[in-house]
Amino acid sequence: MQSTRRRFLKTSAAATAASFAAMPLLAAPGKKYRTAIIGAGWWGMNILRDAIAHGQCKVVGICDVSEQTREVSAEEVTDLNGDQPRKYNDFREMLGKEKPEIVIIATPDHWHALPAIAAIEAGAHVFLEKPTAHTVEESRAILNAARAANRVVQVGLHRRIGPHHVEAMKFLKSGKVGKIGQVRLFVTGGGGKEEPTPNSPAPVGLDWDFWCGPAPKQPFNRRLHPGGWRNFLDYANGTLGDWGVHWLDQVTWWSDEKYPKRVFSSGGRPVRGAAVNDGHAMTSDAPDSQVAVYDYEEFTVTWEHRRFAMNNSEHHRYGAYFYGTEGILHIGWRDGWTFYPAKKNGQKAHGDPRFDNEKDGHNLPPLWADFMKAIVEKNHTPAADIEPAHRSSVLPMLGMISYRLGRSLQWDGAKEQILNDKEANHLLRRDYRKPWVYPKV
Amino acid sequence: MIRKLIPLMLAPLWLAAEDWPQFRGPHHDGISREKNWLTNWPEEGPKRLWEAQVGIGFSSVVVADGRVYTLGHTKGKDVLHCLDAGTGRALWKHEWASDLGAKFYIGGPGSTPTVHEGRIYVAGKWGEVLCLAAKDGQVDVVWKRHLAKEEKVRVPTWGFNGSPLVLGDRLLLNAGAAGVALDLKTGKTLWKSADGEAGYATPLPVPLGGQPHVIVSSGRAYAAVRVADGREAWSLRWFTRYGVNAADAIVDGDQVFVGSGYRKGCGLYKIGAELTEVWKNKNLSTQMNAAVKLGDYLYGFDGDSGGPGKLRCVSWKTGEVAWEHATGFGALTAADGRLLVLTGAGALMTAPATPKGFTPTGRARVLDKDCWTAPVLANGLLYCRNSKGHLVCLDLRRGQ
Repeated sequence: MQSTRRRFLKTSAAATAASFAAMPLLAAPGKKYRTAIIGAGWWGMNILRDAIAHGQCKVVGICDVSEQTREVSAEEVTDLNGDQPRKYNDFREMLGKEKPEIVIIATPDHWHALPAIAAIEAGAHVFLEKPTAHTVEESRAILNAARAANRVVQVGLHRRIGPHHVEAMKFLKSGKVGKIGQVRLFVTGGGGKEEPTPNSPAPVGLDWDFWCGPAPKQPFNRRLHPGGWRNFLDYANGTLGDWGVHWLDQVTWWSDEKYPKRVFSSGGRPVRGAAVNDGHAMTSDAPDSQVAVYDYEEFTVTWEHRRFAMNNSEHHRYGAYFYGTEGILHIGWRDGWTFYPAKKNGQKAHGDPRFDNEKDGHNLPPLWADFMKAIVEKNHTPAADIEPAHRSSVLPMLGMISYRLGRSLQWDGAKEQILNDKEANHLLRRDYRKPWVYPKV
Repeated sequence: MIRKLIPLMLAPLWLAAEDWPQFRGPHHDGISREKNWLTNWPEEGPKRLWEAQVGIGFSSVVVADGRVYTLGHTKGKDVLHCLDAGTGRALWKHEWASDLGAKFYIGGPGSTPTVHEGRIYVAGKWGEVLCLAAKDGQVDVVWKRHLAKEEKVRVPTWGFNGSPLVLGDRLLLNAGAAGVALDLKTGKTLWKSADGEAGYATPLPVPLGGQPHVIVSSGRAYAAVRVADGREAWSLRWFTRYGVNAADAIVDGDQVFVGSGYRKGCGLYKIGAELTEVWKNKNLSTQMNAAVKLGDYLYGFDGDSGGPGKLRCVSWKTGEVAWEHATGFGALTAADGRLLVLTGAGALMTAPATPKGFTPTGRARVLDKDCWTAPVLANGLLYCRNSKGHLVCLDLRRGQ
């Protein structure tokens, strides 16, 4: 056991040294920040592992409403760097007892706003998973809280820092694509009809009431947890809120226009079939196929998500096409970025992706390093700062409101109000399940 | 008696032939006692004797008395297939309505049937337990149970995937916190463990203090319980992400090895009144399929499906890695001091099992991905399947 432990420590020390070498700009070397995580499942641990590897975290708290998850995650932290975080079911108790300086939040969308605001108000800088929230006013409340308390909030939009995105954005902003009039964002997937899964007792050690929290309490169903909640609209905003926000954020990142003027979305479940939730069994209820249109002054953005017979009918299966007068730029995922010139003799251009994590295809480490830099250097704005991340995250939320109401929305982005539509404006927020209280904007 | 002769007639040069009537084989260790099978193949691989489509799932095959059994899911039903071992001809099937259960994977049944004294025992994905008898192509249900409905046993996230174990007069199942025992003849519940989520491993028989016990995995532990009454002898706290304790424990003398995926790692423990740690590390995170132990070394797959899995040789005594080979995820079995490796991508390889290194003498692409099910060698024939249910029977008999 002794020799094993020493080996782990040596490995993590080497990783730390390597990341320091890669980060010469970091001030206050040696300072270890008291770090806690709320939501320590698959993605939360992806973030925490990279945070540990970066070398400036002392992990003091692991909060998860699943005993299984917090036990496993705490053990993994101890194996990685020797820290012995305490384990919590309730984030309020953890924030009070551990007084973390950094809090990572990787809960489902309906559980973003309250922990994020509580962490900020407790004095922590926050690494918040995307999208910022489930409803518009929650997202605004997080932004306001961050600014009021002068805390750094980095949102997990790692496609703002991934090398091939940075390269593609530089190419786009150089003017080589010409004037952009239209942007098409899309993901495609496979799958077929969805059969209802019987409800079952919540697993031993899972606090299901707390998991549902401020959202409606549904019966436990193994389709929902672990990992299935994105396609249940009580807890998230489907594929538009998951993949959509990454690609919509590429538009926010590129454009000088801060928000669209008009939003429309339509879709349904032509592949999965009608949603079922009859008290005995459940299917998901998010659309399997959806389009959304975002009208800006200078250009139109479309989003398209579909699950019909995934095949190789198209060159790219994910990403963003920027349609310009000089050609078409595609920014993708594992296929990198590619420029298709308009002119026959034009110069095609391409860049491969360079992921820090090949398996999950992401670039969390530089996003974490950038977050730490923003904490240390007061004048460094983080790459995925809460303000633009809020504006990007609002876009899927508006799309889902339009999808639910079946009409287009006139959006006043400055006031964050939908014009002339009381019913739609009401959906910018939601009623919380007691005893939870919707955050004040 | 005549049935018992069929494999021998198929393989006249066959001396050390052996049936494979249950998951991980007759000795519960993933090792076949067969000898003298073909270890050098042409580029196109060993001769394909037959192929079959058995439906979606990860059930391995069992072979008994010239028949092959496996499970697969087809169009809303889980199907038990009985095929002729020599020709692949479908002899009979038995099916029941079942959810595919495709959560983050293709879904389908994960347990393997068990054949014992002419009867076939099946642990279904959602709590069904069946005892079948077949005669002249006619299938009789001797008894059937439903643990979830009748005993209120919790169904774990990916359903029940452990295979049934016959021990004396009872059938042991990985269900509840630490197993359930049914009467072999009637299916009646003899005992059931406390409420809890089962793991996905198959009960492993082990004698403790002169009494039969089984090691059963849950989402949070590997525990040894007495076969007579379910009383716990010891329990090793073993929390794994998503509760996926799927690989069977490996016991040698008074030591037990466990390993799980999702970066959990593995450990060797000395069995006593309590378990004491010999070593624990991350060197052999066996996510689904247990390793095999040959001599003083373990051979198995470290890492998770979909990730950069490695075939590794790890010292039983120290836990150190002797060698590794970047195969990706996969599954293996062993026979006659050799490994038979099926990678997730469908490459079959055989190499001597030695801590000196991995040097295949035969390799061939035999299936399309994903192959997460260990190949089975019985009576000179090797059975490999993929998740979509493509089953191939390869002829490894010499002199054919």
